[in-house]
Amino acid sequence: MKLMKYILIMFVVISFTQKISYADNDIKKEREKIKNERNSLAIGWRDNLGYELPKPGSYDLYNIRISGDGKIIDENGKENTLHNLMDGKITLLSFIYSNCTDTNGCPLATSVFYKIQEKIKKDNKLLSSLKMISLSFDPEYDTPQIMSLYGKDLSYIKANWDFLTTSSLENLDPILKSYDQPVIRKYNEDGSYDGVESHLLRVFLIDDKKLIRNVYNVDFLHPDLLINDIKTLLLSNE
Amino acid sequence: MHLRKFGVSILGAILLAISSVTVADETCMSPYMAKIVGQEDYVYVWTLGVEGLGDEQDKLVTIDVNPKSKTYAKVVSVLSVGGRNEAHHSGLSDDRHYLWAGGLDSNKIFIFDVHSNPRKPTLHKVITDFVEKTGGIVGPHTFYALPGRIMVSGLSNNKDNGGRTGLAEYNSKGEFIATHWLPTDGDLRGAKKEGQFADGYGYDVRVQPRRNVMLTSSFTGWSNYMMDFGQMLQDGEAMKRFGNTMVVWDLHTRKPKKVIDVPGAPLEIRCAWGANNNYCFTTTALTSKIWLIYEDDNGEWQGKAVADIGDASKVPLPVDISITADDKGLWVDTFMDGKARYFDITDPFNPVQKFEEQIGSQVNMISQSWDGKRAYFSTSLLGNWDKTGEADEQWVKLYAWDEDKLSLTHKWTIDFYKEKLGRAHQMRFGAYSLYSSKNQNKGKDITLLDK
Repeated sequence: MKLMKYILIMFVVISFTQKISYADNDIKKEREKIKNERNSLAIGWRDNLGYELPKPGSYDLYNIRISGDGKIIDENGKENTLHNLMDGKITLLSFIYSNCTDTNGCPLATSVFYKIQEKIKKDNKLLSSLKMISLSFDPEYDTPQIMSLYGKDLSYIKANWDFLTTSSLENLDPILKSYDQPVIRKYNEDGSYDGVESHLLRVFLIDDKKLIRNVYNVDFLHPDLLINDIKTLLLSNE
Repeated sequence: MHLRKFGVSILGAILLAISSVTVADETCMSPYMAKIVGQEDYVYVWTLGVEGLGDEQDKLVTIDVNPKSKTYAKVVSVLSVGGRNEAHHSGLSDDRHYLWAGGLDSNKIFIFDVHSNPRKPTLHKVITDFVEKTGGIVGPHTFYALPGRIMVSGLSNNKDNGGRTGLAEYNSKGEFIATHWLPTDGDLRGAKKEGQFADGYGYDVRVQPRRNVMLTSSFTGWSNYMMDFGQMLQDGEAMKRFGNTMVVWDLHTRKPKKVIDVPGAPLEIRCAWGANNNYCFTTTALTSKIWLIYEDDNGEWQGKAVADIGDASKVPLPVDISITADDKGLWVDTFMDGKARYFDITDPFNPVQKFEEQIGSQVNMISQSWDGKRAYFSTSLLGNWDKTGEADEQWVKLYAWDEDKLSLTHKWTIDFYKEKLGRAHQMRFGAYSLYSSKNQNKGKDITLLDK
């Protein structure tokens, strides 16, 4: 219930800011209209997916392509690579940044990961097979300390959930490119970097051989659907 | 306890930095796709080369459409692809970095880089093994963005060049993933056949992700779409080889669930955008009707003919359609009379025509801006089906649409024959604001993405 309360507060804050920032021309009215519609809660915020899921293992998750690798830094400031961290696990990878303000953006992805660990916490086999990675879009702001704070208290059971960043945009960009994960950045008048403007929300399901087996956007990012896919991958290994 | 902390963490992030977030798009694109807000900068026109005209090759023509530009309404780039392929449809990747464009005869797929320099696209990759990789699909038609992937609908097959076909799934790098054959009487692939037909024909593909639904429509195979139009109309056997079905798929599993009878070659599919509007429209080329494909109160998807388009006995031949962003209007182009018709679809079960105007001697495609105020039209249907003689106009036209006054105002025409370009077919929009750049975003409407 408290989570819902905070979500409602988010709407109030975002709506207030939108009213300030808009002029009266038609395009901006159109933006307002669309935004109001899109601000409805994404499916991942709801308990009920709204349609019946197939039985795990009754469908194929195709090999889309090999997942990207790259140098990252963990919450403790230790360097590693994405592939090292994925090793032997089924991985859910989400690109997020701690300043992300879109209800249906990074907070949704983090919330869905949180709910997944909640839902599978009594299934030791599933829990021990799964790795979750939240990797920042914004290494300039999201230092290992910030990512540690961001993840603090989120991964509170035995789930394997890392909150990662990179040492620079130069190290991050090849990773984003390898996942076709676009981001629009803000720049100041002098050309200096000023943070993340927006991005496409994408979550990647990667199997134990480091192959991407599904890509989710906001329309499909629901814990029940992701758990179904993870179970399907596990069954295909048996 | 932990839920509370999670909530505080999110709220704190919002208070730290709030950016205005919105989403928009031309109204017929994939809901997974990055969106253009406000004014588009370029229109990319996938154009058929014509023998004896210019370099005779198929080409991607880039038109500057930003009124603030010094080269407004001019062709600013022409990229020929080295031959004629029966250029037809094109579609953007979900990040709008690449434009995929198909050849219905050569089965080649050209992938253009439109993000490195939106004013001057380059050819990034050519897929030449489409038929082999897919196990025999012919005629790559619709290119529809899914997250990290492109779904390509076929029109035909390499066994009999008829209409039985499938969907081909590619990753965003242009690598083949899987083929999903359309259900037939011989192999329903688990689907339920609702009516008389399970022809296995294909044409367009669209999705309603919140309902986990993918829809396909059905046209005709290579043996017809490459035949002379007049000759085909006289060929009774050929005229039997048109699709009469739409298929409802489980989008997540890619499994066909139901085959619905939609007689008369249902072509373009446009799904409603509204969060509770669980329906899509199509039009039938041969019977000249608007069909509604909708989810009923029991969660079953059904098809229903809901309106006539012109006088069916005169075969106006409905071709491209375009739904408005508010789901209240549907544009329908009819090729034979060169008209654009606007239907009020506020009640999707009772579309009412409110307006019609002749755009030219022939018209095929329409692309409208998200706000509906700009409508671009183009002419070519198929190389062998376009009109001949003086009626074979080839152009791209921009009109301004005033919904209150129900009026179209012509803004400009680019004559593709006079410019020695070819036959103008599918149009897609480009904008600098789609891409991150230290220089390009200055003073532009910021485009925000599907999140």
